[in-house]
Amino acid sequence: MSRPLSETQVSLTINGRPISAPQSLSVIQALWYAGYPRVKGVGCLEGVCGSCRVMVRRKGSTELSMELGCQLLIEEGMDVFFAVFDTPSHHHYQLSDIQSSWNVQTYFQSIFPEAEQCRHCHGCNAACPQDIDVETAVDLAVKGHFKECGDLFINCVMCDLCMTSCPEFIEPNHVGLFARRVSAYFDTRPSNLINRLEAIRSGQMQVITDDEEND
Amino acid sequence: MRSSSNMSDHSGLTYTQALNNYLQLKEFPARELDMDEQQLLNTFHPDYRSETITTLNVGPNKGERCHTQLAELLQADSRIDASDLAGVRIEETDVLVIGGGGAGCAAALTAAESGARVILATKLRLGDSNTIMAEGGIQASVQKQDTLQAHYNDTWKAGYKLADKTLVKQLVTDGPETIRWLIQQGMQFDLDSAGDLLTRRAGGTSASRVVHFRDYTGLEMMRVLRESVYNHAAIEVRNYAPAVELLSNESGHCAGAILSSLEDSHFLQIKARTVIIATGGIGRLHLNDFPTSNHFGATGDGLVLAYRLGARLRDLDSFQYHPTGVAYPVHLSGTLITEGLRSAGAYIINAQGQRFVDELKPRDIVAAAIIRECREGRGVAEQDFRGVWLDTAGLENRNPGILQQRFPKLVQLGLKSRIDIRKHPMLIYPTLHYQNGGVIIDKNGQSTVPGLYCVGEVSGGIHGRNRLMGNALLEIISFGRKAGADAARQRQNRGHKKITLDHISRLRRELMQNHMPMQFSSPLLFPDYTRRAEADDDPEQPDHPGMFDL
Repeated sequence: MSRPLSETQVSLTINGRPISAPQSLSVIQALWYAGYPRVKGVGCLEGVCGSCRVMVRRKGSTELSMELGCQLLIEEGMDVFFAVFDTPSHHHYQLSDIQSSWNVQTYFQSIFPEAEQCRHCHGCNAACPQDIDVETAVDLAVKGHFKECGDLFINCVMCDLCMTSCPEFIEPNHVGLFARRVSAYFDTRPSNLINRLEAIRSGQMQVITDDEEND
Repeated sequence: MRSSSNMSDHSGLTYTQALNNYLQLKEFPARELDMDEQQLLNTFHPDYRSETITTLNVGPNKGERCHTQLAELLQADSRIDASDLAGVRIEETDVLVIGGGGAGCAAALTAAESGARVILATKLRLGDSNTIMAEGGIQASVQKQDTLQAHYNDTWKAGYKLADKTLVKQLVTDGPETIRWLIQQGMQFDLDSAGDLLTRRAGGTSASRVVHFRDYTGLEMMRVLRESVYNHAAIEVRNYAPAVELLSNESGHCAGAILSSLEDSHFLQIKARTVIIATGGIGRLHLNDFPTSNHFGATGDGLVLAYRLGARLRDLDSFQYHPTGVAYPVHLSGTLITEGLRSAGAYIINAQGQRFVDELKPRDIVAAAIIRECREGRGVAEQDFRGVWLDTAGLENRNPGILQQRFPKLVQLGLKSRIDIRKHPMLIYPTLHYQNGGVIIDKNGQSTVPGLYCVGEVSGGIHGRNRLMGNALLEIISFGRKAGADAARQRQNRGHKKITLDHISRLRRELMQNHMPMQFSSPLLFPDYTRRAEADDDPEQPDHPGMFDL
């Protein structure tokens, strides 16, 4: 076994500019390497913040794919475009508005009425750089299976690419996050935590610092 | 893309040689450190290199020790002049929060819940922060075998008994309540089959105390808090709007800030009753030429802003180098690999195939031990990287399926770089991870300047000179909430009569009196990774400082 990546120079275009850089660099690093001080669309640089969305066309292919620029290693002949634009949500809600867990489904339908209009066009699945089965997850939420829907979104980095690809304005990632949040809000009740909170509230459990001991 | 300094001075094995050594061995018996711990730190830990420490000449910490690279920023000129304020757009709010990570969101949400109008301004986008990258988890004493006192003792001891006791006591006491609040925001945690919180053990602690959500704890926290902030009617979010200077009123109270828009390069003046700085740390300064695990925006801006307005700082010579940052592939250099892996039983192995330290010693000891192996020729040394192995493959071998189940983010990261970490160890080297010190605060996060709060990594005193895994996520939420609530209470005070930038004139006077160079201005805002020399050949290369993007 030896090193998996080489230092071979490759040529590609990023936002229309021809760039040449070592194969071991990501798209963002290749831009910096070529002297472009890109800032917008740069975030955590380790694939979790969803900031560096790029559209990619590989050499000899007509297909456009969506990826994260900090994770994508450059390839010969690649065409890359940064997708830096705001994608504000038009769905607004407060978990505290939901009276009880009996009302979650009704509330969900009032906040996300588009979700049941899904055309099953697979646009969201194709756009997701995290390979989440977005479409199935939205179906689950519509059926009221919020726990199952939320679990499919565990790897979601909120890059909003599923939002931009949905013709029905469903905002699937916000559906997923809603599903995850209501599950925690109504169902997460760990007894070890609750016991400890009570011990602290009642004064049974306290902290004594050295200073206080000496007093 | 930084790599460690003086790499060529040190010998070692090639990646391929070391991998072959590893593959030939089946057993990796534990080996104790064969050196006194204090001597190890003195010789190999970057904090102990005296040539990187200087004495501050101006400001509230004049005469005190500070890392040279940080001192350069603290003693630099302002980015603006009073004349920049002429005709500038002015907005007013009760509470201005600067910074869009976990601490900023917790502060903004709590201030808004307490009835204040809030503007949250952030340099990049809301959520672009170190919080989102946190993997290990959040400490809270919830298990039967554990106590608040044990959490206090562990934190106090790890910080070399130099932390602020009052702050530590409040931190640990607030742990369980912090978890409850996060659950009510809609955050999920890993639970056992009975629904109890699962915990893991942090290095240097006496009990299993770190609650978590896979290796996505920070991501789960941040996406929930961001959604909560965007959905709150009393919070207005300003993305791509870094603060470049604070404002003060006639009596020295903090009275707002000047933001600089990355969209149109215009300044914006925000008048606020109180300001909460939650800008995070300094990793992107690459202190001592180390790679960093930090977010792109971690350039110490908040320290500069607060210091100029007169806030006292502490422990400016103390930083945490996390033992396990990615060393190879180079495009991920510095990326953090969670301590959770060592906690689960992963070994650290040198290029000769030997373990050399108890992997669960405190972070500074393990980091220094790794640096020592590399410096003494027992590491991998190639032209552009060096390191030792973190044996992910061995961990998987002993516990089939554990990596995909508990560390999915890391498995994914490896696969994208054509490395299957279930079959192959990872090459690692310490990475600049955390600023232990920062702005001195009280129990409400208030700095020594009235009206100015500092929470999260920008503040100092909670961790002494070494932080435990999981105490940072606890700190940002706990102190973020305290500061938010207290800042909101201050909105009842009478408003500011006069808004000034007098502190900038004072700074310039002091800099000149001390014959300090004034060619640099700060805050830094962004690191510069471009290779200028080559870029000069390109006539289309943007050279205006405001033009960051293609």
